[in-house]
Amino acid sequence: MAENPNSGRSENAGDKAREEFFSEAQEIVDGLSRDLLSLDEVSRRGGSDAELVNDVFRAVHTLKGLSGLFGAAMMSGLSHELENLLDDLRLGRIELTSPVLDLLFQSVELYARILAAAKGDAPEPASEVKALLIALGQVSQQREGGGSVIARYELDPGLLGVLTEYEEHRLRTNLQLGLSLFRMRVHFPLSSIDSSLDDLKSKTRPLGEIITFLPTGEGGDTESVELEIFVASREALGTLRSVITGSNIVIEEVRHRDVTLSAPSAAAEGHAAPMSVQEHIDDAHSNRAPTAPPAAHLLGDAAFHLSHGVRASTNPDKRARADGELTLRSVTQTVRVDIRKLDSLMDIVSALAIVRSQVARLAERVRLEPGQSQLATDLHRLHRSFDRHLEQMQNGILEVRMVPLGQIFDKLARIVRQVSREYDKQVNLVITGAETEIDKLIVEELSDPLMHMIRNAIDHGIEDRDERMRVGKPPVGTIAVNAFQKGNHVVVEVEDDGKGIDPQLIVSTAVRRGILTDAEARESNEREILNLVFQPGFTTRNEATSLSGRGVGMDVVRTNIGKLGGVVDIASEIGIGTKMTIVLPITLAIISALLVEVCGRTFCMPLASVEEAIVFDETQVRTFEGREVMNQRGATLPLARLDKVFELDGVRPGVWNSDAFGAMPTPSAVRSGNKANQLGGYVVIAKVADRRVGFVVDRLIGQQDIVIKALGKTLEKVRGFAGATELDGQRVGLVIDAASLISEILSNTSDTRDIRDTRDARFADASAVAGSLPGSVSEGVYQPSRAT
Amino acid sequence: MPDGQSISRRVGELGKRVEVLAFSLWPEAYAIMIGNIAEILKPLPITEVPRSGPEIVGVMSVRGRLVTVLDLKQRFKLARTFSFDNRSRILLVDVRGEQIGLLVDEVLGVYRLADHEIEPPTVMGSEHPPYIIGIGHPLGGTVLMLLDLAPLFSSSMG
Repeated sequence: MAENPNSGRSENAGDKAREEFFSEAQEIVDGLSRDLLSLDEVSRRGGSDAELVNDVFRAVHTLKGLSGLFGAAMMSGLSHELENLLDDLRLGRIELTSPVLDLLFQSVELYARILAAAKGDAPEPASEVKALLIALGQVSQQREGGGSVIARYELDPGLLGVLTEYEEHRLRTNLQLGLSLFRMRVHFPLSSIDSSLDDLKSKTRPLGEIITFLPTGEGGDTESVELEIFVASREALGTLRSVITGSNIVIEEVRHRDVTLSAPSAAAEGHAAPMSVQEHIDDAHSNRAPTAPPAAHLLGDAAFHLSHGVRASTNPDKRARADGELTLRSVTQTVRVDIRKLDSLMDIVSALAIVRSQVARLAERVRLEPGQSQLATDLHRLHRSFDRHLEQMQNGILEVRMVPLGQIFDKLARIVRQVSREYDKQVNLVITGAETEIDKLIVEELSDPLMHMIRNAIDHGIEDRDERMRVGKPPVGTIAVNAFQKGNHVVVEVEDDGKGIDPQLIVSTAVRRGILTDAEARESNEREILNLVFQPGFTTRNEATSLSGRGVGMDVVRTNIGKLGGVVDIASEIGIGTKMTIVLPITLAIISALLVEVCGRTFCMPLASVEEAIVFDETQVRTFEGREVMNQRGATLPLARLDKVFELDGVRPGVWNSDAFGAMPTPSAVRSGNKANQLGGYVVIAKVADRRVGFVVDRLIGQQDIVIKALGKTLEKVRGFAGATELDGQRVGLVIDAASLISEILSNTSDTRDIRDTRDARFADASAVAGSLPGSVSEGVYQPSRAT
Repeated sequence: MPDGQSISRRVGELGKRVEVLAFSLWPEAYAIMIGNIAEILKPLPITEVPRSGPEIVGVMSVRGRLVTVLDLKQRFKLARTFSFDNRSRILLVDVRGEQIGLLVDEVLGVYRLADHEIEPPTVMGSEHPPYIIGIGHPLGGTVLMLLDLAPLFSSSMG
């Protein structure tokens, strides 16, 4: 096999670089979205924020550089047009109006889609990009008539041409604010230029902002240089002259071209910019496009400043340069890691955890040996230290996986903006707890469900402005997204102050659609009714809108959240609003579990969903509507016998118990028996959100940290298990999916009414088979639906 | 997917010989193309998965990886229960991007079948199952059902 060993590696390296490109681009797009939202807010208040526009510009510029490097032509093209638009914004040639903002938001949307397409997740949004490019082009054309405030000053156009874009921007901003512009000509001896310049700057700074330093090229000789310094200041010329003194300094005010000496107002900006300025900027563009030098995307504007040659080292664009340096620094300090690598580290941790428990057993054995007490103590100490470090390592890995929920909340803000405009409703999004951290994998999967919920809240919840005024609500609706940690769970609430959900409307719809029978409708309580919105195919709307109301959505929301081991619940009050609550585990990577035994099999119950475990007392069991329940501290607790739920009770021949593995496997029928009755057993009370079920098990084995692995594709249709984990001695333990089991068991309560007839038949069978077993009468009632 | 003709063709490509791993699902003998076999394991502890189909023995851990183990005898309706003894083996095979363990009674060995030692599956009648791609008659006289894994799993698990 004489294959080129390098070919594989370089391909991998390319893949890696490409992946890094994706994640970097994604980060930039996310940041872009955040900045645009802030910009939107600022502009709605009628203000402007030059720094934000700069940030957006830099982001797009970086994207352009990146996409150029990776041959992502579509992204590169979009970035180029966008950069032009943003440049016009920066330099004040066009105004930040709502349509312009819309275009910017659309671009963010398209960036996300282009990225998805590049990854192969979606088709390329070619036609949309084309349409946006055209729209962007139209905006750029409009600027032709726009003027520049700078043009109104008596400045040499050639001089303007050497200003960096940032300097030009600062100049413009200061002038727009009504400050006066002064020109200082200062003669510096080269020997002391640094200290003199610093001295000058410290004198000038309290009076105003230094826009730029430029060598004049006149009046200098081999020992000295003349600099022209532009200062924007509120002070009068006299004040400046009195503070900044020196024989080598000449200060004059740069006068307006027109006679009016009043501060320029935005409305008066009708003059065309001098062509030379335009040309310069256009040149700058064509120089950079289409192949930006690789360094440019890291340094941003700083790269251009460097090209200006002689310049004092500290000047107003220091900030811009510092930003560039910051970017560089953050690149070197952050490591992007494929989450699968963390998974494999976690596997090692779980293997070490097994070693740890074996060491513990060994230490215990040595302790019982006579005359080995010193060895036992040493071993014990070693074990403790191992234990501690392992825990630290585990926590460290978990911490790396954690990301703030804010990552997706930013996207939500964009959705709110877009959807509320489409429905012509005014909505304010209030987010709290964006810093709440959750496993990266969960965050990824959470974004779609949350988006659906927000859309629903705007579409179905928030009333339009007139309606809100009529009922005496504030005209602008509010959607509050609150996130917080609660024990081992993260809770995300989506609350709107809209019209609420009318249970009567749900009932009539559900009955009409055959989801509910009349009898069931009468028996259901309000909460059960509200939860019908999560049923597949449920919608109260007759016509579907483009965004929601097609009857798909809420059931998908529930399914997706369920896949993450979470639950979603709904509460609503007519006229007040609706609140949806999502409860999720913090991580899926490693969890603490309670190991229980049922019919000789070991199962792992995630501790996060275990409230407590109590001794099972058969005499406490009551039946209620054919369901087994027991009274627990005054509350009714639905019971589920795990041996029945999993049909372990000798029903299936040929099962091979993990416990029974040895030289000769024992058929399960020998081992099975109603041990819960003989030995009493335990009730493990599981709670997800506020739904509780008591699972009856034979024995509690203990607590252990486990790494959950997904069951293979062959088993993906089997419900009730979140996966499996390796216990000691190569045994595999199944991990119970408490959320899905609880909802299965609780929803089967209402199913009882539908299938009572068939159930009675099976029930008779069951009691016949069970014969004299006590409690079998009630045991036959619950039959899990086989998940296939 | 290979059928009776294509396995003959493959035999041609491979220099008139095709290598298969033969195993017994007592009382019958089957064989799988050797390229499909990732590993042959002595039985490991297997954990039963409640609510799974009757063909599924359970899951086991192979060096930290979770593997689903299937009972082919159940699939072929040769037995209602499975049993283990010291000749039992689990064949790890790659199917649909997943490693699956096949529980077999005994590994019989590797056979290199020549073209003339393979009969098309049509000899079993026109309604032969899609996963039988031929019948091998190696020199020892054993009759081997040659299995193709892909249709075996697409029809069993859906």
